Amino acid sequence: MKEKRMNPRKVSAVKDFICVVPVLIFLAIFTYYPIAELFRISFTDWNLLKDTWQYVGFKNWQWLFNGSGTRYLWNSLRVTVLYSIGELTVTIVGGMIFALIFNRMNKAFSAMRAIVFMPKYVAMSSAAVVFLWILNTDTGILNYLLSLVGISAVDWLGDRNTALISVLMLTGWRCIGYGMMVYLSAMMGISADYYEAASLDGASSFQKFVSITLPMLSPTTLFLFVTTFISSMKVFQSVDILTQGGPYRSTEVFVYNIYRYAMVDFRMDRAATVAIFFFVLLLLVTVATMKISNGRITYDS
Amino acid sequence: MRKKAALVLAAAMVVGMTAGCSGGGSTGKAAVNNADTAAENAGGAADTPAEEVSYEVTEPITITWWHALEEQYSDTVTEIVNDFNSSQDLITVEAEYVGSYSDVNEALVAAHAAGNGLPAITVANTPYVAEYGAGGLTEDLTPYIEASGYDIEDFGDGMVAAAQYDGKQVSLPFLISTQILFYNKDMVDAEGITLPSTWDEMDAFMEAATVKAADGSTERYATIIPGWDQWYFETFYLNQGVNIINEDQVTTDLDGETAVAIAGKLKEWCDNGYTYWTGTADDASSNMRSNFISGKALSVVHTTSLYNTYVDQCDFEIGMAWLPGGETKNQEIGGCVLLIPSKNDQATKNAAWQFMQYLCSKDVNMKWAEGTGYMPTRKSVLETEEGQAFLEQKPAFQAIFDNLDLINPRIQHSAWSQLSNIWKNAMAEMILENGDVQESMEQMSLEINDILSDS
Amino acid sequence: MSKQELSSAKARNESAKRNRRIKAAVQWVLAIIVVLIIVFPIYWMLVSSVKSQEEILLAVPTLWPREFHFENYINVLNRGNFAKYYWNTAVMTAGILISQVVTGIFAAYGFSKGKFRGQNVCFIIVLGALMIPLQVTFIPLYIMMANWGLSDTFLGLILPEAVSPYYIFMLRQTFMAIDDSYVEAARMDGLGRVGIITKILAPMCKSTLFTVTLVTFTNGWNSYFWPKIIARGEKRRVLTIGLAQLQNTFAGNETMNNHEIMAGAVLAVVPVIILFFIFQKYMLTGYSKAAMK
Repeated sequence: MKEKRMNPRKVSAVKDFICVVPVLIFLAIFTYYPIAELFRISFTDWNLLKDTWQYVGFKNWQWLFNGSGTRYLWNSLRVTVLYSIGELTVTIVGGMIFALIFNRMNKAFSAMRAIVFMPKYVAMSSAAVVFLWILNTDTGILNYLLSLVGISAVDWLGDRNTALISVLMLTGWRCIGYGMMVYLSAMMGISADYYEAASLDGASSFQKFVSITLPMLSPTTLFLFVTTFISSMKVFQSVDILTQGGPYRSTEVFVYNIYRYAMVDFRMDRAATVAIFFFVLLLLVTVATMKISNGRITYDS
Repeated sequence: MRKKAALVLAAAMVVGMTAGCSGGGSTGKAAVNNADTAAENAGGAADTPAEEVSYEVTEPITITWWHALEEQYSDTVTEIVNDFNSSQDLITVEAEYVGSYSDVNEALVAAHAAGNGLPAITVANTPYVAEYGAGGLTEDLTPYIEASGYDIEDFGDGMVAAAQYDGKQVSLPFLISTQILFYNKDMVDAEGITLPSTWDEMDAFMEAATVKAADGSTERYATIIPGWDQWYFETFYLNQGVNIINEDQVTTDLDGETAVAIAGKLKEWCDNGYTYWTGTADDASSNMRSNFISGKALSVVHTTSLYNTYVDQCDFEIGMAWLPGGETKNQEIGGCVLLIPSKNDQATKNAAWQFMQYLCSKDVNMKWAEGTGYMPTRKSVLETEEGQAFLEQKPAFQAIFDNLDLINPRIQHSAWSQLSNIWKNAMAEMILENGDVQESMEQMSLEINDILSDS
Repeated sequence: MSKQELSSAKARNESAKRNRRIKAAVQWVLAIIVVLIIVFPIYWMLVSSVKSQEEILLAVPTLWPREFHFENYINVLNRGNFAKYYWNTAVMTAGILISQVVTGIFAAYGFSKGKFRGQNVCFIIVLGALMIPLQVTFIPLYIMMANWGLSDTFLGLILPEAVSPYYIFMLRQTFMAIDDSYVEAARMDGLGRVGIITKILAPMCKSTLFTVTLVTFTNGWNSYFWPKIIARGEKRRVLTIGLAQLQNTFAGNETMNNHEIMAGAVLAVVPVIILFFIFQKYMLTGYSKAAMK
């Protein structure tokens, strides 16, 4: 380089570029290339149990949209959407209510807030085995407490009417404090002037909440909605430990569906096909939520 | 320069993204050979002369043994492994508990595909033998047996057959059990209940043996049939002539008249409160057992391997009865075989073979047979005074010794584990959620046909 | 102001005070109830982990253990092989952490303070990766790793997580907020890029850097999906997977050792919970920081 006497500006640009090169190479290999591979695999009949594979055209796509895979595709889509709605409700509505309860600035409340937020940091696997134990039909403490008020034992994880609710209990326990913290820090950003002005107009606390707090929090709500929605679509771990997708696939969310085809049945071809569908779905959701967030929200600068 | 670098990167990324699309090349070891190349490889492998291979262990080596033996067997496992390790100088065995049989299956197939992380020797549940044989996962043990003059004739015939695929000895029988009806002998004797010997007698038995409270709720179930593993209820179908996999190997008869009728009966008994369907949850087995132990069930269908566990936990006498039959009275081999993954190197395989011979030896087998409910596997036990001595210790095993010839190998098909998952889930959903029997069986059969023809 | 008006103002004041006091009381009561509910699973995990097997299966659960059985922990460490899982988790987490921090800081510098053609395109490539989670790509990744002989290895555990677009994005935002004049001044002083990053930018964004790194640490420590796929054997099993495995083994068909499972659960969360209490301030803002950007 010295011999060529490059323009120092250019040298600087190259050096700047080198800073980001490792990351780009990494993402190319470990993120973008696998997506291309996924498409390729979806056109094969690759079964991990077998030594050979060949291209089979659109056979897997037919299987997915017009074959024995269709039923479970829609099932997992439905379960995932139900789960997402549950997690969104807990995070946004629950988080907001908790934020109002814990919106008091003193040492005791600050300690209590920390406790409510802590579950977010408890490893999901630890939390899940604890919930398994609490929800146990015969020896779990929840059923014992219910029996004290005369409710007979509920088979929380074994009944398809309660299995998803049980998974959501665990999710709620871990996420509600997060929603609370996000809302609280946003509430502190709302200028006290608004409230004083409203007080002078004789507004009640409830009116103040509806006409000031809620609208001012709308960017926060949107943020929570977008991030929670997308992350809730990727749920796997809680389902894997609590129900393994059961009973009879009533908690089989999307990722678990893919996981089952790939790592239990070893049908890489089918798993890849569903994974692509899932990927497209994620993209659509992301784009749609971004579209919504552009424009609708009034920011207070 | 700046431009160039950006261009190069962009090009690299495009190449990276499209390389995969450009052709059916081999992705390497992961069983991903295109059809042609694989055929070549297979040809090459066949050419490799077997004469040169030595089956002796000459250098010290440490090998891993994967097993699925839970907590209650851990003392026996430790003892057996320690005995082997101290019996010779060259081989050190490390036993590793992998999980349930299906966990072992998943881990084994994944490791085989990856070509690393394979155990030297592993257990495998009996129905997986065909999958592994067909997929080339297992080492053919025939040359090992010949080279070391191993006496395979001493195993029961059905057991040897269960460990074969396509005429090749790809595994050896290790811990063998079968389905059995455990019953509360004290209650049966006191109440003079006749146990059913055919499916047709089941109705009468179920009604007679159930005890109901005044409000119609069940105080004692006649029997409980596990729903978490289709193995426990599939003999009812087989013995009435249902082809779970038809001869064409790509369809099932489970939507036929007989199969639907059997499923309907199972559901009817549950609806009547004579029994309940366990479902497929993790605790289904322990719930069923605690019902039997506490006298809330007169009998349960379970595996013989749990005989000692039941004897230890029940304060009444345990009887064992052969399951009610139909046209035939056959049962199926359960438990596990031992196999050596084919992708190991020869030294590991040789060491594994030594350990396998030891694990399958008569002494070790009898240790299991006495300490648990697994069966003796040797003719030299089964057909001699040793067997009689064993029976004196465990008289309940008479039911099994009487019917040894009726214990058959499992149905072998490379899509079997998928089929069994679909089946047990469909049964659970139909019975527990009160589905329509005909409709459920048809829907299930459609799915099964799909995986059978596309495997 | 008339006397009447005065007294009514006083009354209004009184009633406002009373309202405020009622509101405070309601808040206190609700807060305490919520805290009790949230804390209960953790409390239950702790007490269950020191009970005996008999006590844990009692029909009427005991809220406080009759006897303390700390040997449950020893049993889990030995039989459940948790000591090994600890080591595996620690190495994996350290690997992920170091590589994410190093690659992340440099990339964030390049995207915020650097200048080169195609900068925006490159940044879009990074952002785009945010939309492609491991849950989509795990099948080809698994095969790649297997082909490279990396299943059941540390490298296999770390590689797919070695770069975090999220981390880069967060740091870039933070670096952008720093005035360019600092960087220029440092450059005048003859500092190179490494110097600028380590001596100027990093110290100025200490708290964000620390917070994001803490989040990265806990995410690594608690990760489950990828380890489950790539480390199926015992050799490189991590705590989260080991605990799920323990659940299958101990609560499976034949034994009900829930007290030992709870001990395992405690062992798995202890490091993160300790960190949480030490660095509460950062941990609490960790996620909400992300929210504000």
